[in-house]
Amino acid sequence: MSRSIRLALGLIVALPALARAQAIGPGFELERSGRYVDAASVYFTTIRSDPTNIPALLGLERTLFVLSRMSELLPLVQNARARQPESPALRSLELRVYAALNEPDSLEAIARRWAASAPQSEAPYREWGLALADRRMWDEARRAFLVGRRALGGDGTLAIELAELEQRVGNWDASATEWGRAVTRLPDVEPNAASQLADAPAPMHDRVARALTAPGASVRARRLASEVLLTWGQPNEAWAAMEPTLAPADTEAPTALRRFVDLAGALTTRDGHRVRGLALARWADMMPGSTGGRARAEAVRELLDGGDKAAARRVLEAHADSNGIAQAALIHLLIADNQLDIAEERLSAPATAITADDRATLRLALARARVGRGELDRAAAALGDDSSVAAIAQRGWIELYRGNLKNAMEAFRLAGPYALDRAAATDRTAMMALLQRIQQESSPDLGAALLTLARGDSVAAIAALRRAAARLPEQGGRLEVLLIAGQVAAQKGGDQELTATALFDEVVRTGGEGAAPPAAELEWARLLVRTGRAAEAIPHLEHLILTYPNSAFVPEARRVLERAKGAIPKS
Amino acid sequence: MKRRDFVGRMGGWAAGAWLGRLPIRPSAHPPVIPSLLVPMDDAQTDHLKAYGLTYKAIQAGLKAEWLLNYRGGSFLIPDLDALRRDAALNGIRTEPVDSAMTTVRGEIEASNMDAVPLEKAPKVAVYAPPNAAPWDDAVTMALQYAGIPFTKIWDPEVMNGSLKDYDWLHLHHEDFTGQYSKFFLIYSGMSWLAEMVQRNSDTAKRLGFQTVPDLKKAVARSIHSYVGNGGFLFAMCTATETIDLALAAHNVDIAATFADGTPLDPDADAKLDWSQAFAFTGGHIETNPLVASFSDIDGHQVNGGARRQPLGAFKLFNFSAKIDPVPTMLVQNHRQVIPDFYGLTTSFNRNRLKPGVTILAEEEGAPWVKYVHGDLGKGTWTFFGGHDPEDPQHQIGDPATDLSLHPHSPGYRLILNNVLFPAAKKRELKT
Repeated sequence: MSRSIRLALGLIVALPALARAQAIGPGFELERSGRYVDAASVYFTTIRSDPTNIPALLGLERTLFVLSRMSELLPLVQNARARQPESPALRSLELRVYAALNEPDSLEAIARRWAASAPQSEAPYREWGLALADRRMWDEARRAFLVGRRALGGDGTLAIELAELEQRVGNWDASATEWGRAVTRLPDVEPNAASQLADAPAPMHDRVARALTAPGASVRARRLASEVLLTWGQPNEAWAAMEPTLAPADTEAPTALRRFVDLAGALTTRDGHRVRGLALARWADMMPGSTGGRARAEAVRELLDGGDKAAARRVLEAHADSNGIAQAALIHLLIADNQLDIAEERLSAPATAITADDRATLRLALARARVGRGELDRAAAALGDDSSVAAIAQRGWIELYRGNLKNAMEAFRLAGPYALDRAAATDRTAMMALLQRIQQESSPDLGAALLTLARGDSVAAIAALRRAAARLPEQGGRLEVLLIAGQVAAQKGGDQELTATALFDEVVRTGGEGAAPPAAELEWARLLVRTGRAAEAIPHLEHLILTYPNSAFVPEARRVLERAKGAIPKS
Repeated sequence: MKRRDFVGRMGGWAAGAWLGRLPIRPSAHPPVIPSLLVPMDDAQTDHLKAYGLTYKAIQAGLKAEWLLNYRGGSFLIPDLDALRRDAALNGIRTEPVDSAMTTVRGEIEASNMDAVPLEKAPKVAVYAPPNAAPWDDAVTMALQYAGIPFTKIWDPEVMNGSLKDYDWLHLHHEDFTGQYSKFFLIYSGMSWLAEMVQRNSDTAKRLGFQTVPDLKKAVARSIHSYVGNGGFLFAMCTATETIDLALAAHNVDIAATFADGTPLDPDADAKLDWSQAFAFTGGHIETNPLVASFSDIDGHQVNGGARRQPLGAFKLFNFSAKIDPVPTMLVQNHRQVIPDFYGLTTSFNRNRLKPGVTILAEEEGAPWVKYVHGDLGKGTWTFFGGHDPEDPQHQIGDPATDLSLHPHSPGYRLILNNVLFPAAKKRELKT
């Protein structure tokens, strides 16, 4: 024994009883450094002077287990328990020692004796079962918990322990049933239950959900099912589990619905949005005043994102008279339904509660919808005197479609790179790049062609773009316009693929300094890959990479090349 | 090329379409030509493809060098148009060097660095079933991405002696205990599992084995012999742990009832013969058929419930390049600390490693290591824990990792180090 240990032991013996209980620090340190024999010596010395010192007994439990000397611990624990028979810690320790010594009969006898002395307590059965479970004696552990449940009565007794046990052995449906019992008895357990069940492997999901929603399942169990199903990305099934628990709504319903709404917010699918909207609408009805109004507006947006216009309209029409948010949402819906005149009428009504910000957003949406119909003057009128960058950007598009290229360019410049969302900013930037190549201030043909494209008539747009391109100089925008025509044709597919190929070929063969030739070659290769002609795409991609090594399209060309060669998986 | 064949293997131009594009004809005495440095530090634009470029050079019979510890373990290849073109197409950074090489060689000589000649491209075999499993295979993906050719082989090829045709063998997610990765009960009813069971059972029957575990044990023994006779073995994920369990269990049933119709031997732990294993000793079998874990060799126990350990990061050891070139080659990287990643076998507990095993990477302060290497007879083996270095928690059914999004992956570099190191010319080691 080293000098430091002798010193530590000397200190322990010299200190009074209270201090001795805290003086096992050297034992911990020895244990941490892996010197288990020395650590056990420290703990043994402590126990000799203080037989009920629980930290020292626990230290022995750890170290003697590693040293395979657990039998030495048993008499010490029995002695301590005899001195303090009411101590749950000592009782638990005694059970664990018997389990470690693989003496299940003695273990059961001790547990039953403890239970007899504490007839209302779950602790004896819990510790009995856990001691067995730690030894991976699953069946015996289950039996211990069930003995406790029978003895104490109550369907949810020891349900948490049984749920965790079943989970450890992979019986996920049995685990779900027990978690259902646990939350029915103790609502605070629900987040833990949901977190545990969320880990169930995919093949077990149906069985877990069925266990929680079986006929006779409690409201809390069904709500647990809804939460777990949301975690698994199954919003429709989740709502089917939740909705029946709301009629009639109990006092926990608002909290449960709010949690449902929050969890559904993580889903980005259409069904996810729709179900979140349905839940928000129900929650809004339970909330007073402005809270309910805001929630309702959010519900409508979610229902629209989820493609359920009918449900969105029902929510709005029930509350649109006095609520500005609901009025704005209803006008959005009318615009989406292409009922532009009614939307314009409602938007122009003098006595509305719609805020200025919402009004500006609606005007913009209305202008876009008018453009979609080719009504450029009415689109411009819808924007009124709005001087926001978003409105300026929209005016740029209107000018472009009128063929006023210079005005369009100025408007796009004025709007800057941050107006509206990223996709809109990217579209504007791409169009500015095209306009920069064109030296002319006006091109009604190009404007009309782009408007045709914006209105969704692809085939007519391709022809119109080709006509417009023919009137532009070769290095003054013609290639860029032909590229757009080729991209539209390639996207259209079918018969248009030949047109696309011809257009890309023309741009690549012409070449030059602009971005159009490498872009066209990349698009051409993509088209070939998409149509199952990967081998034909490879020379195009190699030509692009080697001919335009500094082009921004090279990294993407390399990715497509890898795919064409089968070197990376499809994503 | 086996280790025993290293010495004196020079030249030997490989035929192939790629060679046809070279501007010079190969000869026994290639002319002195300027070199291209393929830097492998942060200047490199695609670390993984750089291995493929070097492989192609030596496959074509050209002479390359691996500059150990120089700029992240750079390569030196001949400055030829075909190689420049290949580098440009694949986005690999190369730097022409001529007179500067004198300075570089001086720096190598004066530092913990070395220049190792790479002479013959190893023939690579990947042990994998013919069908597609619902999980990805890091090595196959790395080879495909880097453009290194390989052949897929499986139990029939191993049992008919085809291993001798290859220099390098890779194992990945295979379960050599014959228990279908212990997914049999957890994923019962899944079509991919049914197909896996059917295919393995049919193969066992066709090759004259009563059970799949019997077949897998025989395959493990063949692989063991292959290494003993000079082969290079690289294993990842479950293959590391289970091949050793299968070898140690040559006379004892460690397979659950679902796999072979009989319960496992209750005294299996005591009967395991670890002298037959590559890397491990003293492991205890996981007997629960519902827990997808095989033994206590794995430190992380990803499917072990409460035993599961969180992921940390592992650190590569720094070896002496001139004295220990083999481990040095295996740890060449531009990163020394790499985020860990799970697999059915994620790591190896230190107390289960045989004495003499070389630890290549470990998690500091943890009871496990990540990457180990050793010799067996005339060959070597390397075990790398975890499933996919760029998908720390790869789940069954997850899409395969797109390596074009991870061209600098330090974890994948470790895999490719293993592919190239059999190409190194053997020199007398000083230890």
